[in-house]
Amino acid sequence: MTTLQLFMYAGAFILVLGVAATLLVRDLIRRLIALNVASGGVMLLLLALADRGDGEPDPVPQALVLTGIVVMAAVTGIAIVLARRVEQLDDDLEEVEQ
Amino acid sequence: MTVIAFSDVDVLDMLVVAAVAVTAILAIAIPRRVGATIAFLVFGLLLALLWARVAAPDVAIAEAALGGGVAGALLVDALHRRQPAQPNRDRRRAVAITAVGAALGAVTFAALATVLSRLTAEPADLGPLALEAVERSGVSHPITAVLLNFRNLDTLLEIAVVVFAAVGAAALSRDRIRTVTDPGPVRRVIAVIIVPALVLLAAWLLVAGTSEPGGAFQAGAVLGAALIIAHLCGVRPARAAGGRALVLVVAGLLAFILLGGIGLAATGTWLALDLSWAFAAILAIETLLTVSIGVALAMLFLAAGSRDDAAAADRAADAPALGGAP
Repeated sequence: MTTLQLFMYAGAFILVLGVAATLLVRDLIRRLIALNVASGGVMLLLLALADRGDGEPDPVPQALVLTGIVVMAAVTGIAIVLARRVEQLDDDLEEVEQ
Repeated sequence: MTVIAFSDVDVLDMLVVAAVAVTAILAIAIPRRVGATIAFLVFGLLLALLWARVAAPDVAIAEAALGGGVAGALLVDALHRRQPAQPNRDRRRAVAITAVGAALGAVTFAALATVLSRLTAEPADLGPLALEAVERSGVSHPITAVLLNFRNLDTLLEIAVVVFAAVGAAALSRDRIRTVTDPGPVRRVIAVIIVPALVLLAAWLLVAGTSEPGGAFQAGAVLGAALIIAHLCGVRPARAAGGRALVLVVAGLLAFILLGGIGLAATGTWLALDLSWAFAAILAIETLLTVSIGVALAMLFLAAGSRDDAAAADRAADAPALGGAP
C-alpha cells in the first residue's frame, strides 16, 4: 500500500462516516458538523486522486476542492441560521404550551 | 488475496491519518456540541497537514482561511446557545438505528474501497491536458487557469450558491443584527492593526493568484475575516448588512454573467476568453469575486450571530417586569 492509497482509503472512510452521521444524528448543529466531516473526506479523496503519477498534481480536482470549500462555508452559514430559527420556534412553542 | 502491507508508508503519514480518523469519529460521536465542535476544528487542522502532503498549497490556504477560520467562527459562535434537550428515545431503538447505520456504512465503504483498489496508478488524461493548455489561458498558475478559464462555469455557479446563501441568511434575520457599540480601547487597537494588514494580505493573495498559489477564493475568505473582525471591533462602516452589502455581493455574480455574454459575442462560445484580453478579464472578475465572497461570508456570520442575542436582550428586559408581578 502506498501513501496515496492510504490517503484515499482514509478519505473514503471519513466520507462514509460523515454521511452516516449526517443521516442519523438528531441535533442540528452536530448534524452540520457531520456534513462538514463528510466534505473533508471527499476533499482528501479528490486531492489524493489528483496527486497520482509523477510531476505536477492534476489541477482540475484541486480546483473542484477549492470550489467545494467555498460552497461548504456558505452551506454551513445558512444552515446555522436555519438551525437557530428552528430552535427559536421550538422554544416559542414550548413557552406557549407552558 | 493480497496482504495489505504498510511497509511503503511513512510512519508520520500513518500517525497523521490515524489522528484524522480518530478526530473525525470524535467529531460525530461526542454528544455535546462544544466537544463535537472542538474535535471538528482539530480535524480541520490535521487535514491541513495532509494537504501539504498531497501537494495542494492552494487548498491549504483556503482551508486555513475558510474551513478553520470562517466556518470555525460560525460554529463556535453558535455554541453560546443552549443545546436543546433531545427527546428521550427508546434505548433499544437507538441501538438498532446505530447498528443499521454502521452496517450500511460498512457496505458503502466496501463498495468505495473496491472501486479505489482498481484505480490505475496513472493520472487521468484531463490533468496533463489542463497543464498543457495553461499557457493559452492568460494566467500562469494552473489552478487559477482551471477555475477562471477552463471550468469557469463551475466558478459562476459557485458564486451563485454563495449569493443565494447570503441573501437567504440575511432574509431570515434582517432586522436583528447586533451592533458593537463600545468596543473598548484594546479592540479598537486590534482593529487598527489587524484589519489593514488583512486587507493588504487579501489584495496580495488576489494578484499573486495569477502566477502562484492564491486567488479570489483565498483572498475573499481573508477579506471576509477582516470584515468580521472589523465588525466585532465596532468599525461601523464595515458592517456587512443591508442593501449596500447585498449590491456588492450580487455585483460579482452579475459581472460574471456579463463576462459570459462578452465571451459569447467576442469568441462565439459562452464564457470563453480570448488570449489577448484573458489576463485583464480574469484579474477583473477575480477582484469582483473577492469582494463578493468576502462580503457574503461576513453577511452570513452577522446573520448567524444576530437573532439569539437580540432575543436574550428581550428576555433580560422582560425579566424584571415579570419578577415584579405578584
